[in-house]
Amino acid sequence: MDYRIGVIAGALVLAGCDLFGGGGVSEEQRGDGTDTIELAEFPDRPYWGDTHLHTDVSVDAFGFGVRLGPEDALKFARGEEVTATTGMSAQLDRPLDFLVIADHSDAMGATRRLYDAPRMMVRDPTLRRWRDMMHENPDQSTRAVAELITAAANDEIPEALRDPERQAKATRELWDRHLGLLDRYNEPGTFTAFAGFEWTLMPGGNNLHRVVMFRDGSAKTGQVLPYPGIDGEVTGLWDYMDSYEQSTGGKVLAIPHNSNLSNGMMFEFSGPDGGPMDADYARRRARHEPVVEVTQIKGDSETHPFLSPNDEYASFGVAGWELGNLPLTAKSTPDMFAGSYIRSALLRGLTLEQQMGENPYAFGLIGSTDSHTSLATADDDQFFGKHTGNEPRADRAMAAQNLGTRQGRFGWHYLASGYAAAWARGNTRAEIFDAFMRREVYATTGPRMVVRLFAGFDFGESDWEGDWVRAGYSRGVPMGGDLVDDGRAPTFLVSALKDPDGANLDRVQIVKGWVDANGAEQEKVFDVAWSARPMDAASNSPVPPVGDTVNRSEATYENSIGAAQLRATWTDPEYRRGQRAFYYVRVLEIPTPSWVLYDAKRFGLTLPKEVVEANVIQQRAYSSPVWLRPRRIPGDAPPIMQ
Amino acid sequence: MMRRLLRDPLAHFLVAGAAIWAALSLADEPVDPAERTIALTKEEQANLALGFERTMGRPPTDAELDAQIESWVREEVLYREALRLGLDAGDPVVRRRLSTKMDDLAGAEVETARPSEETLAAWLREHPGRFGEGERFTFSQTYFRSEDALRDALGGAGDASGDAISLPERMSDASYDEIMAVFGSQFAAQIAGMQQTSGAQVTSGYGYHLVDLEKRVEGRQRPLSEIRDKVEADWRSSTAAARRARAFELLREAYRIEVE
Repeated sequence: MDYRIGVIAGALVLAGCDLFGGGGVSEEQRGDGTDTIELAEFPDRPYWGDTHLHTDVSVDAFGFGVRLGPEDALKFARGEEVTATTGMSAQLDRPLDFLVIADHSDAMGATRRLYDAPRMMVRDPTLRRWRDMMHENPDQSTRAVAELITAAANDEIPEALRDPERQAKATRELWDRHLGLLDRYNEPGTFTAFAGFEWTLMPGGNNLHRVVMFRDGSAKTGQVLPYPGIDGEVTGLWDYMDSYEQSTGGKVLAIPHNSNLSNGMMFEFSGPDGGPMDADYARRRARHEPVVEVTQIKGDSETHPFLSPNDEYASFGVAGWELGNLPLTAKSTPDMFAGSYIRSALLRGLTLEQQMGENPYAFGLIGSTDSHTSLATADDDQFFGKHTGNEPRADRAMAAQNLGTRQGRFGWHYLASGYAAAWARGNTRAEIFDAFMRREVYATTGPRMVVRLFAGFDFGESDWEGDWVRAGYSRGVPMGGDLVDDGRAPTFLVSALKDPDGANLDRVQIVKGWVDANGAEQEKVFDVAWSARPMDAASNSPVPPVGDTVNRSEATYENSIGAAQLRATWTDPEYRRGQRAFYYVRVLEIPTPSWVLYDAKRFGLTLPKEVVEANVIQQRAYSSPVWLRPRRIPGDAPPIMQ
Repeated sequence: MMRRLLRDPLAHFLVAGAAIWAALSLADEPVDPAERTIALTKEEQANLALGFERTMGRPPTDAELDAQIESWVREEVLYREALRLGLDAGDPVVRRRLSTKMDDLAGAEVETARPSEETLAAWLREHPGRFGEGERFTFSQTYFRSEDALRDALGGAGDASGDAISLPERMSDASYDEIMAVFGSQFAAQIAGMQQTSGAQVTSGYGYHLVDLEKRVEGRQRPLSEIRDKVEADWRSSTAAARRARAFELLREAYRIEVE
């Protein structure tokens, strides 16, 4: 027993040492990657990444139990084998090309410090209770963090955790160490490690979170600290970003996510004060937030059946998440949906642009995980869960998720989703960041389909015979681009390749949104390519379902249906001159089992029939839109067709 | 072995622990009344103040520091009495905390160490696979959507130019990972297993390919000077992990485990 005291004393002394010595890194690794590698003439392939990963530095992830830090996260993303918090070995079948570790800027590292703090040092009764719960057992720890999130939602966070000044010193230490680590793992041409953080704005529990992503290495990012602001204003974040760019000459962007949990606040039609939105606000928003995260573990934000009743694939990843805001402290009502989902936001953007000449919601689309396990997994057959409490184990699919009011959401509602694909000329910070800025990016729910989209006015079938990618770039615009109306219907070159290690493709669709002559927002989904099967004019969609090869009990499927590749040259048959419109591509795979069915097979579970059926899914990719804008002729009347 | 042990900080630590244990055992009684002194050094007081500052975001006032000390003393007294009563045994939280600290301790030394050039050179020699420049492949491919189409083309009955697909016809000096990213795992594995050849039949998730492997460049080992930081980072994390494992083994050997 006394020997043990000696050991403890020794351990305490040593544990106080700085845990990172670390040597320098090369100039190439430290910078933004400009002039470090040979670049392709055009973006030649999509680079795959996750822009939204949490490690043990995040206040909630640590509380949920994760003990893997940023270094393990980087190793894992780069393809190395690591041991997950709960002890399983974890390795990606295919490495990722880039990663943004996006730990929460608020109270960065605070739960770990609270956990490590001597109990009697913690005077605040709430913090002390949370500390005790974190030490008690994993369930209590998760509960403590749920309370913390609810308290944050209700603006009741103890002062000691909330005040940014008090956090600054600890954050400085963490941030400097983190940036050094990122440079060490950043290898131009091979793997890109971006600096970033998550900004956790959440008025009343309505999710207005943004991931912030820097283009630069530590020489610039080290001049600032992650910006906290759980109860701030989004304009404050943009001020921070402006200030960073002005003082360092660097570049930074923000990515809103989980608009599905914002109760209509993410894409409001009005301005932040409730009055009409002004052009300045719209311009700032568009400039700072060029892309949004449309799909991730906590549901899919593309659209909702209430908003898109004629879209038979609109309900993907909606179940559970449509019930309310992030901690489920406020229910969602249908009138909120238009401000919560991407497609309706794109439509609102068109209307606002028509009214004031600026479009705040002209964004590109990406997916990312939002995993809180340090493991960026989006493949259903190796899904490591939302947080350490639901890493693979028998009861995770049916377990109620003990966040907030603990109602209505179950483990199986989580999606093993998604990844971001960036069309870039090479794998560097500069090239991939710039692809985000010009919106030449797309989202997938996990599989790595290769999706190309070009829009122009003189494309034809014959373009497929030649170098169609060159034609696309030279005679049109790629996804994310703007096309100025020239009086002809736009034509699109769309190409989708299946994930070579995944399921075949069912169909390629173009989703069009526009403002009609009466100023009303309209949307329509066109099937533009599908694996060979006859049209069915009687059905809602002219293309019948592709079929279903999923063996429910074995969690298998066969690539005996569907296609390896789908291509289309598509001209909008409903084009009207002067119409404002956006067009994006949605690619659907054939039905496959979700992670829930893989779990059922692995752990021998008997799941309710409706849960089984809900987990035969069609994975998908969403391209960034192309916008068709009316031509502005100086001196002409505004080209608004009222 | 002995010489290595003498240089090993972990061994030092274990020896120190054993010495403390021995000294206390020689005292005959597990808790000596003479031990009932609680001394709070200047350093420990500074630690209390620092801990306060880290938690509360500002230094404590004198009154607050006094309160901290009082509270520390109270906790220390109760802690020691709890140990005397054996209350730490069977407490899962105490168990986990202590075992985590032991783990951290075993790894801590290496986190701050500055490895010598020789250490890193040896590390590089011992783990060539982690730092080498992988093999590079230059090939061209023709795609066929079905096995029949491929067979027809080979037999002269079909179109030898294959079916259209948005895949590169040629890849130059591509790494295994690059090939895998574009053509999938199955295809990459077959290319890697192939000698330079023309007209090889290769399958992928997309279908069938005729492949001409034009050039295959064996991997090369990069010199330490090029990749010193990478080697050091790898040495550091691997050594810390190995050290934790070895510390456990050393300790574990002293026990006989009986599982009923």
